[in-house]
Amino acid sequence: MTAPVYIHGIGMTKFGSFEDKTLKDLLIEASKEAIKDAGVSKIDAVFVGNFMGGSLANQEILGAIVANDLGLGYIPTAKLEGACASGGIALRQGVLSIMSGEYETVLIVGAEKMKHASTSTVTQVINTAMDQSTNEKEAGLTFPGYFGTVANRYFYETGASKEHLAKVALKNRENAMNNPYAQFQKPTTIDEILNARMVTDPLGLFDCSPITDGGAAVVLSSKPSNIKVRASAQASGPTLMQDADDLLSLPAVRVSGEKAYEKAGLGPEDIDVVEIHDCFSMTEILSSEELGFFPKLQGWQGVNEGKTRVDGEIPINTSGGLLSKGHPIGATGIAQIYQLVRQLRGNAPNQLTKQPKIALAQNLGGTGAYSVVHILERV
Amino acid sequence: MIVYECCGIESVTKKVYCSSCGKEITNEYDVPEVGTVYSFTVIQVPPTQFAHLAPYTVALVQLNNTKAKLTARIVDQVNIGDEVKLEKIVDGAYVFKKSEVLHNS
Repeated sequence: MTAPVYIHGIGMTKFGSFEDKTLKDLLIEASKEAIKDAGVSKIDAVFVGNFMGGSLANQEILGAIVANDLGLGYIPTAKLEGACASGGIALRQGVLSIMSGEYETVLIVGAEKMKHASTSTVTQVINTAMDQSTNEKEAGLTFPGYFGTVANRYFYETGASKEHLAKVALKNRENAMNNPYAQFQKPTTIDEILNARMVTDPLGLFDCSPITDGGAAVVLSSKPSNIKVRASAQASGPTLMQDADDLLSLPAVRVSGEKAYEKAGLGPEDIDVVEIHDCFSMTEILSSEELGFFPKLQGWQGVNEGKTRVDGEIPINTSGGLLSKGHPIGATGIAQIYQLVRQLRGNAPNQLTKQPKIALAQNLGGTGAYSVVHILERV
Repeated sequence: MIVYECCGIESVTKKVYCSSCGKEITNEYDVPEVGTVYSFTVIQVPPTQFAHLAPYTVALVQLNNTKAKLTARIVDQVNIGDEVKLEKIVDGAYVFKKSEVLHNS
């Protein structure tokens, strides 16, 4: 028998550039807010999501630091790493630890401190999310370059163009404009997006998620609350572009989605609101197909028809997504939960007119190497 | 170059077990370093290690006579479907060139 898992508290820092805050500051700020929101006094374990604390912020032992500085006592803690899925994986370990009966109440917190480093340094460190011991790395493929290569092939096989990617970026920017926690709240236009500096053809600046400082936290418990974790699922995928059976697929997203639907006894048609890991505009389209919201190679048409907007059939990234809310890597998977819980509670930025009941979060790590899916229900 | 095969799955990356049948992968064979551009990107924002090359083109090359694909740097401007062949191997990177450029040179 497994214990049920409920969400009791959520917290996050503003996402952006915080010169004066350390990685620890971001972890503690988000944790304090989640614990306060949960109204709990005892935490049994801590799971931290973080990717580049060692290489960029020169800090490890994050689990013990969180327990120590919050004064939680001598409780077990751990840091989980799965590149950009670090937060989602930490959340899943928290879920599993409650399901197993080992703990009653756990804190999951993710954070990243990135803005102090140069773009080339961050690009180099993000590249550790690809297999570094192969000819592919030596060819000079970058993390954004992978999705640029995907996008050119996607254009070739469908009627999609750079304009459809721009529509994803514009939608997410418009959503972020209403989210006070988002990194980018300035309005933009399709023309500005299309004419922006190229990062990796055909992806321009607005097609790529930014470098961000930030933290997010969740308190889970087996004690009932009005938000239940209906399913937690995870899968792996190829760690190299040259290993992909089909360049236009993300098998980890597909499999983690299928497993989550199976566990929840639900299908894509039952989902009211979604946060998808839009590290790139192309990725949001591809993953919306893999999760069953659109048929394969037709996700771009859904975007074109406005179906993924806040007022559309399947609202995707009402928070502004990684593209405009920001992408402090270890916090990202947990910040998705933050937005969805607020949607389910009925007080989110870009709150859906009809208060949603079922929400889905999908967090990607590497170029499809990890994917984690959580399904939440308002009960 | 060497391609590894089991159960019809072919890859330039050597894996221990076949993801289909679960047995150790033992089949390998040589294919020529010639193929077509399956897709590509032009990298304008490079990591520190490749800063001196930017902008540069990286392509996923569909190798001839196999299902395996290879990630390579390309010295020319290319489009999907262009025929390319190996020019040289530099620091572990396969560097390809357009086939017709080689013919003309």
